[in-house]
Amino acid sequence: MAQLNMVQAINQALAQEMARDDRVLLLGEDVGRDGGVFRVTEGLLERFGRERVLDTPLCESGIMGAAIGMAAYGLRPVPEIQFLGFTYSAFEQLFAHAARLRSRSRGRYSCPLVVRTPYGGGIKAPELHEESTEALFCQVPGLKVVVPSGPYLAKGLLLAALRDPDPVLFLEPTRLYRLLREEVPEGEYLVELGKARVARPGNSLTVVAWGSMLERVLKAVEGYDAEVLDLMTLNPFDSEAIVTSVRKTGRLVIVHEAAKTCGFGAEIAATVAEEAILHLRAPILRVTAPDVPVPLAKLIDHYLPGLQQIRSALDEVLQY
Amino acid sequence: MAFDFKLPDLGEGIAEVELRRWLVAEGDEVREHQPLLEVETDKAVVEVPSPRSGVVSGLRHEEGETVKVGETLLSLAERQAEPASQALSQAQGEPEQQARPQPAPQAQAQAQAPRPASVGIVGSLPEAEEEPHPVTAGMAGEPAVPVPAAKAAAGSGEFDGLATPMVRKLARERGIDLRSIKGSGPRGCIRPEDLERQLPAAAKVMGGAGAEERVPLRGLRRTIARNVAASQRTTAFVTSMEEVDITDIFEMRIREQGEVESRGTHLTFLPFFMKAVQHALKEHPLLNASIDDEAQELVLKRHYHFGIAVDTPEGLMVPVIRDVDKKSIIELAQAIQELGRKARERKIALDELKGSSFTITNYGHFGGTFATPIINWPDVAIMGFGRIVERPWVHRGQIAIRKILPLSLTFDHRATDGADAARFLGKVLRYLEDPALLFLDCG
Repeated sequence: MAQLNMVQAINQALAQEMARDDRVLLLGEDVGRDGGVFRVTEGLLERFGRERVLDTPLCESGIMGAAIGMAAYGLRPVPEIQFLGFTYSAFEQLFAHAARLRSRSRGRYSCPLVVRTPYGGGIKAPELHEESTEALFCQVPGLKVVVPSGPYLAKGLLLAALRDPDPVLFLEPTRLYRLLREEVPEGEYLVELGKARVARPGNSLTVVAWGSMLERVLKAVEGYDAEVLDLMTLNPFDSEAIVTSVRKTGRLVIVHEAAKTCGFGAEIAATVAEEAILHLRAPILRVTAPDVPVPLAKLIDHYLPGLQQIRSALDEVLQY
Repeated sequence: MAFDFKLPDLGEGIAEVELRRWLVAEGDEVREHQPLLEVETDKAVVEVPSPRSGVVSGLRHEEGETVKVGETLLSLAERQAEPASQALSQAQGEPEQQARPQPAPQAQAQAQAPRPASVGIVGSLPEAEEEPHPVTAGMAGEPAVPVPAAKAAAGSGEFDGLATPMVRKLARERGIDLRSIKGSGPRGCIRPEDLERQLPAAAKVMGGAGAEERVPLRGLRRTIARNVAASQRTTAFVTSMEEVDITDIFEMRIREQGEVESRGTHLTFLPFFMKAVQHALKEHPLLNASIDDEAQELVLKRHYHFGIAVDTPEGLMVPVIRDVDKKSIIELAQAIQELGRKARERKIALDELKGSSFTITNYGHFGGTFATPIINWPDVAIMGFGRIVERPWVHRGQIAIRKILPLSLTFDHRATDGADAARFLGKVLRYLEDPALLFLDCG
């Protein structure tokens, strides 16, 4: 089995699905001749031609609007937005049209598109290039939000997203693009959306993370009897897996690289408070970035939750 | 174009309805929203309105029929001569006002109805109530709603220390007063281990001095509480009661007591009762059974293992005497004596408390007459025997003083019905009244 990084795994998933289903097409800034800002779509223009891989003008709302129109009329577009920080100009399209087309048309239309976008910090890029504002999108009913934490999952989740009948925001943790290599099967496989996975079993506390934080959490919990859950899909999220684990361990730490206030960790904490409060042995702790805009390169390592911060939280909940 | 109107999903999990009445006939012209028929669900009678305008071209069901969600109720022929603009606007999902034909008299009347005072171009704006809203009314000055004075935690007698929800739950379950525990966690937070450590001391009495004493439900008492509550929750129980003349058994017991005691066993009435019940059960197997709730199956037992409720200092226990059908009266008397002793000494093995197919409770020697015994789940029936008293009784056409035994049979109505239970009870009655039948009828 080939050892692939996440860029290669995603590229393979796109190529396979485009070969399998000729309704799938890519569009976005530089996705064609340049192979995408991180070379994720490299080689696909040559293989599938200009009708399937479309270089667009620099206009996110236009990319999204065109994709929504294509999706409504039966195609399976995969718009790439170069960074999550640039989806905001297309947010209105996503929120007001893509996510509610099924509901608005009472099921007559769906909007099967997959918005791919790199997200997250730790790559020392300029402003708006390291955002982790996934919670904004999780608040949108009708929009699925998927975050892989490694190459194997990236391929399986992307294939599942591409076959989903509704719009999916597929967040690719930029820091992980080339950081991890894993064995990725050449053949097709799907990783079900809406399910979490136990990335590491344990008994004395539960840590929930996703995306690029998972790699860091797995390092931080070495030496602890911690159960690590990788959410993989944030909307709809697998609350049952979280509640089951917390009922077993009695302790919960949530780690995310987004700012704390109204981050997705708040949703998880509230769910556990509703469904498992009598199993809690300790307060629920969130380890997050501070409530400030993502800083420039020099400060980014202080901004993202570090190993020591995560371990302090683990120690704190274990004291009770 | 014909349009088949199918019974829509009425919500609340309703899968089918009974068609009570058609409100239209074939050939009728109907308008959108006009009631077409009346249906009865298990909740209510509702009118089903038409989703479109048109002419009724066929009713597909008779009144009184059951119609499932999704089945066609009737067909509507839509008018062909609609203006093009209407067809277009409908296809585009435009608001219908533009395309609607001239309003019918009824619609005109509606149009003249008083309009709400506040109308927006999109949506409708709720009007403020005449009365000032309680939340905002006091904002200019004092609060309109009095705020209760904050409860002084120190004087309330409630636990005001630190403990996580899990520890609070544990303490509640074990009847431990958290005020009596010193926490070893951060800022004095009580840990689960602190509860364990102080369990014997803390569990003695909850609540301290006062007009009441709280004794925690623990051990056997808690098990009993849980089991009887579970039984009441899961069974549909009914108790039927009868009185029976057992003078003959009474006399037989006195006559044979010496013989039995010479063999080292004390003879009570219970073995006779058990035999009578066992033989009656043989003819009424539905009561010698259990219910498998998960599989939704009635499990008919081919054995006669009787649970016998025994009073012990700590509470009721129900050891099981197996194979009642294969034991003689004396063997039963011996088994009862042995089990009672073991139960009181708490030496009974767990598997001796399991596997009953029917249960007997003999509360008569404590003085009760009738009762509603609680079924020993998963059995489906229990028979209670009350106190034997001398009563005037019609015996062979004469009033005589006889020994009368009250019987109370609680059965699970899910397993059987009252008539069958009464027949069973009647059978027990016959065997108790005339124990010789046990030899004539039964093998």
